[in-house]
Amino acid sequence: MSEVLGRIVATERRPNTPHEFHFWTALDSPVGIGTIVRVDARDGVNGVMPHVYGVVTEGFSWTDLASPLHDVMGFDGAPGNASLQQTQRAEIRLYTAAVLRHVPEEPLQPVPMGTVFLADEADVETALRMDAYLAEGARTGIPIGVYRAGGTDAPIYLDADFLIGPEAAHLNITGVSGLATKTSAVEWLLQSIFTHFPAQKGSVAAVCFNVKGPDLCFLDQPGEIGDADRGLYERCGVSPEPFANVQYFAPYKSDGVSLNTLRSNEALLDNVTALTWGLREVLQYAEVLLNKDDIDAKADALIDFIKENVLDKRFADPMLERPHTVTSFADLDAWFRDVLRGLEKKDDQSWRTHHVATIRKVRNRLSNISLRCKGLVADDGATSDLPFGSFQDRTVYVIDVAGLEEDAQDLIFARVVTRLREHLEKRDLGVQHVVVFVDELNKYAPADGPDTYVRKMLLDIAERGRYLGLVLFAAQQFRSQVHRRVVGNSGTALYGRMDGDELATPGYAVLSPAIKTKLATLEKGQLMVRHPHFTQPIFVRFPRPSIMRGGDGVSRYPQAATPSLHSAVLRTLRQMDPDLSLGWLQDVTILATDDEILRARNDVVRTRPGDVRKAFASHFRSAVAPRTATRSTAPAPLPAMPTDDPYGF
Amino acid sequence: MLTARTVQRQLAALLPECRPAGTGDSTLEIAGQGMDAPRLISATMLEGGPLCRRLVPGAPTPGFRAFLDGTQRSEVVSYVAGVPLVLGHTAAVIRERRAGRMYTWGAPLSASRVYGPRMMLARAAWATLAAAYGDALVDTSDGDADVTSHPLALRDAAIHRVQGHREALEWRLAEAWCQREDDPLFIDGGISGSEAVAVSPATIGVVKSHRTLYAEGDALVEVLSLAHRERSSVFRVTSPKRTTVASWYLRLRDPEGHDPMWGLIRVESAHPSADAVDRIGERADEVSRWILAESSPLALPDARWDKMVYGIRDCEEFLRATR
Repeated sequence: MSEVLGRIVATERRPNTPHEFHFWTALDSPVGIGTIVRVDARDGVNGVMPHVYGVVTEGFSWTDLASPLHDVMGFDGAPGNASLQQTQRAEIRLYTAAVLRHVPEEPLQPVPMGTVFLADEADVETALRMDAYLAEGARTGIPIGVYRAGGTDAPIYLDADFLIGPEAAHLNITGVSGLATKTSAVEWLLQSIFTHFPAQKGSVAAVCFNVKGPDLCFLDQPGEIGDADRGLYERCGVSPEPFANVQYFAPYKSDGVSLNTLRSNEALLDNVTALTWGLREVLQYAEVLLNKDDIDAKADALIDFIKENVLDKRFADPMLERPHTVTSFADLDAWFRDVLRGLEKKDDQSWRTHHVATIRKVRNRLSNISLRCKGLVADDGATSDLPFGSFQDRTVYVIDVAGLEEDAQDLIFARVVTRLREHLEKRDLGVQHVVVFVDELNKYAPADGPDTYVRKMLLDIAERGRYLGLVLFAAQQFRSQVHRRVVGNSGTALYGRMDGDELATPGYAVLSPAIKTKLATLEKGQLMVRHPHFTQPIFVRFPRPSIMRGGDGVSRYPQAATPSLHSAVLRTLRQMDPDLSLGWLQDVTILATDDEILRARNDVVRTRPGDVRKAFASHFRSAVAPRTATRSTAPAPLPAMPTDDPYGF
Repeated sequence: MLTARTVQRQLAALLPECRPAGTGDSTLEIAGQGMDAPRLISATMLEGGPLCRRLVPGAPTPGFRAFLDGTQRSEVVSYVAGVPLVLGHTAAVIRERRAGRMYTWGAPLSASRVYGPRMMLARAAWATLAAAYGDALVDTSDGDADVTSHPLALRDAAIHRVQGHREALEWRLAEAWCQREDDPLFIDGGISGSEAVAVSPATIGVVKSHRTLYAEGDALVEVLSLAHRERSSVFRVTSPKRTTVASWYLRLRDPEGHDPMWGLIRVESAHPSADAVDRIGERADEVSRWILAESSPLALPDARWDKMVYGIRDCEEFLRATR
């Protein structure tokens, strides 16, 4: 039996209720805000001694001093006169706790008078109702961290059924930037999920969008962690290792040669794949890139016409100079030019019900996409994509969009998530559950602002994703600025250190001033957790992820210098045929333009032929072997004068 | 513990003729405050020469390890044929100071009794009460030849019995302290009521009420004009029923702007042995320094805070909280 911590007190002014109680402790008790306690009732109910579990939400302290002036007088007006005072005034530590659980649950009564104890590990399990999902044989607990108070060191588990689905799903994490909380917590939680996700629930993978800096660029590299963190890993039953399986995807920079990622060091490129999409992939999500002013009904109709009748098909029209097969932005532009030329020749204002102004506008907007998303969108229609259909269990797929324009980020996000959803609906993604991690949710699903495609899509995931196995882990600095339906549908919420202004918003009104104060001063590695099984928020510690931090990774693996076109292409081709040499590549492409070389590379990457050398070379004309010119020894004789010269020369 | 309501219900069941009295917050002690007539007594000096003012040398120094105080609370619960039956509660506690914090030393003592004059009640009624309350029934007329039937006199008699019981509890605790401890104990009130306590070097009594002043004439002027941190010469306090002790007056606070009794206390300590009489002044200075060190924190909001030290207030608060 643990030592008595405190005693329940209730007065007419401060009564206990079924959801709240008060107790006092010794001055040196280890109780603090967030401490979980157990109350052993003094009197039985229906022959059973009730136990009540609660978490401390507020603390009070006062002395028998009736007026501050009395203390002034006691010290003769000099605060430094400590020696005058031989006796410390009688003082109280009074705490308010919110009820976590009554045992038995019925009848639900006000918290009875009784004795208060610090909760031990078993008490914590009961208080947070974790006993329901930690039972042997039906264990669905995912450790989120360790609860620590007064010597108690208890792992806290989330219920996978409520984190990954289907009962509830999604996780939202809030906290100020720069304290290594949000990204670190998600990295740690993914490690925990990959370790503890129950086998009977199937496979799980994660798709992470790296939206800023090198945060997620080194998930497969080991990081340095201390003994304390190692202890937390051990307590949670997770191995302090980096992720075993990580695949990186990044579009090219605008030069089309070097990858647009901070993970471009030669030593780390073996699991980095270029992300390039063609016209078809982009046109499906034209709505993402075109704003409402762009896509009126007329423009929408023309885009649909192109998607239905022009894209990837042989298109012929009497007005056009030639048939077109549009597979790339370049083809599309040629098609547009032909249409507009035809209209000019006919001096007509419309073609197939589409007005010339609409045609010009759509051409302008669509052509612009390949410029705005250069590097991601290939003019030639080449596509290099995530392995939809062959996702691997316990694998992290990182899409590095940090260096992209906002439009390109939106496009990638919309398309990837939509494809994930489509494949999960068809049950052919390769895994049964996918966690999608998105940072800066304020930007993608703001509480106010335009109703963008991305926001609609996030709302859809938040509301329907749990049935599909599509789970959103989202982070943001200001939860109050995220759409209510997105955060409202998050079954689990984590809070790191919070900004005072954010805590002053109405969404935090349910928290006591003491909890808010604690949130405003949380250390690194501490989180407040809300979970459907927990009736009150709980504070936990989580370990620093055993992953190389972004800053360390950038220092250790500096970015590769921008390579020459030939070097970059060779590097890509060598992944398929390591015997290729730079000399060979230069010989083969000696007469080719840069675009032709890139097109050939993209084609080889897309088709992955057996004979890379032959397939690549087939894109180029053979160079004629050089010959030395020889000079004839005697000049050729002049032609003879014609005999019938009518002009008399 | 007996409560007024409980006793009233019990008495109503035991003695149908009894009539309950109104109960409230006011106690007989409050109603009867200051009943004793003020008086002046000339005292024999122990410290050379006539009584005079002396500055306590040196800085205040903490010396007390613990504080003892008792409380009493009495109220008339019922009348039987106009005779008041009084419920009296008494309690005492020693609060020990450890690292500046106060903790209860040993077990606090408390008792509740019903007080009534046997001589004024019918034999059957008294027998009924005795059967119900046993040792908790106290005869306030026992041994008092001057008992009258005036209800106020009967009530005062009950209060004196309650006071006696309270002092008895205090002496029990103080004697236990003297048996087990050597460190100084601050006792609220005089120490002469118990010989064991009165002769112990570990007990110091501090009297806050001055209905009796041990000075007359010039000596009284000297006492009343004591300045802050001044004490009077040490004198002897004797009484036929009490043990002789050494005593002196001490001014705890600056009386400027207050009445002459402001911050004035009378200290009692064990009477010195014959060979130690010469050093009684040094002992008075030492004890005075201990007491002056207790002048902070203030015992506010208690109305007697000018004379009461915080340790005694702590005892009272403890007894009030646990009654």
